[in-house]
Amino acid sequence: MKILRILPLILLIAACGTENKKSEEEAFIESLDSVENTGPSIDENVIGEIIQQVPSPLEISVLLKQSGTKYDKSLLNSTDNISNYNSNFKKAVNLGIYGTDLGYTNIYEKNQDGLDYMSGIKTLADGLNIGQFFELETIAKLATNSKNLDSLLLITTQNFNSINQYLQEQSRSHLSILLLTGGWIEAMHITCQVSAKDPTNIELQEKIGEQKIILENIRLLISFYKDSDPKMAELLSEIEKLEKVFNEVEITQTYKESTFEIVDGVMMIKDNSESHIEITSENVENIMRVTSEVRTKLIN
Amino acid sequence: MKKIKYIAVFIMFFGLVGMDKGVAQCNPQAYTDACIPKLANGFNFLKSYKIDGDGGAKSKVEYSYVFTKGTQYMINICAEGSSTDGIIVTLYDSSRKAIISSKVNGQYISAIAYACNTTGIYYIRYTFDNATKFCGGSALGFKR
Repeated sequence: MKILRILPLILLIAACGTENKKSEEEAFIESLDSVENTGPSIDENVIGEIIQQVPSPLEISVLLKQSGTKYDKSLLNSTDNISNYNSNFKKAVNLGIYGTDLGYTNIYEKNQDGLDYMSGIKTLADGLNIGQFFELETIAKLATNSKNLDSLLLITTQNFNSINQYLQEQSRSHLSILLLTGGWIEAMHITCQVSAKDPTNIELQEKIGEQKIILENIRLLISFYKDSDPKMAELLSEIEKLEKVFNEVEITQTYKESTFEIVDGVMMIKDNSESHIEITSENVENIMRVTSEVRTKLIN
Repeated sequence: MKKIKYIAVFIMFFGLVGMDKGVAQCNPQAYTDACIPKLANGFNFLKSYKIDGDGGAKSKVEYSYVFTKGTQYMINICAEGSSTDGIIVTLYDSSRKAIISSKVNGQYISAIAYACNTTGIYYIRYTFDNATKFCGGSALGFKR
């Protein structure tokens, strides 16, 4: 008989729990005004799988530093522009752009610049209700000592990964795509500008050329929203301009079986296949021009 | 009235069973957290991958990432204790051709490092071989 008395209570608690969770989610979704987004034309899980394929812009920053390129703050998007970013579209795109800029400053151990970008990132993230993923105090502490570089890189990478995961869980993958697109455009912009100053750096030219593969993914991701979101349709047309100039780049591959050896318990694999990237200086110039045009529209 | 009593007991029993299952569920986050610091020196962390085989219901868990020429990638596996608990990672290239598997001569290797010479999408597939928990984590790092 006692069980019968407490049964409605159990059911009520269970129902309340669901209701609370639902209302939190609804509040979050309502806070993201964005544009009229009625959702993608494909399952969000598929979108999530494509999103996770896109490489981190940090890889390019590491390449730039290792190739002996000097730090150049003027290549980055100034945090003074933050007041221009009032829509969720602009906030998300520029969050990605600042993310790449932060990675660049971190790799070059320019801690004060890094803190400025971190602060800008926090402001934009707060505006998108995802500020909880950035703990400014922890990052500021790490940034005071260059010995903490690895931890700083780790924590910022983890923060961005958590944001992407959270946005996908909240069915707001379009914001994740905007973050990613912004981050990629900024990495492209920095790489192209550096390459223009040193046309003899073939590795850098190839790095630009191989971005054709990543651009295909980004174009695909944005295209899923073109019918439901006018801002995404606009962005798609910009990305397609880039795609047009990238079509001049040829990527071919030759396959050869990999070999391996085990060293200290780690399997060291050597890729004996090879990819060839055919890209001319003229291609690089065209890619740089269009990238710059797209970026200017995004940061202003 | 007796009937209602039985129904209530039935609901509560299965409710408790469900809760118990929840506790026993795989928590891959703990393993991914353990795996990140285990990336070898010089590797920068990129991604963490959860490996949840749903108690054996899933035969594989797959992720993908664009690897780029001239970069070395490391993928490690963490599971209960110091072993990989039978979790194997197999790397596939963009045409889905298997490149390498972390099980060699019956031995389960917990970390692989791939010196990439071909830019493209790579598929990172985790499978289970005599696993007991079907639960683990993995981290991906890079260095140039």
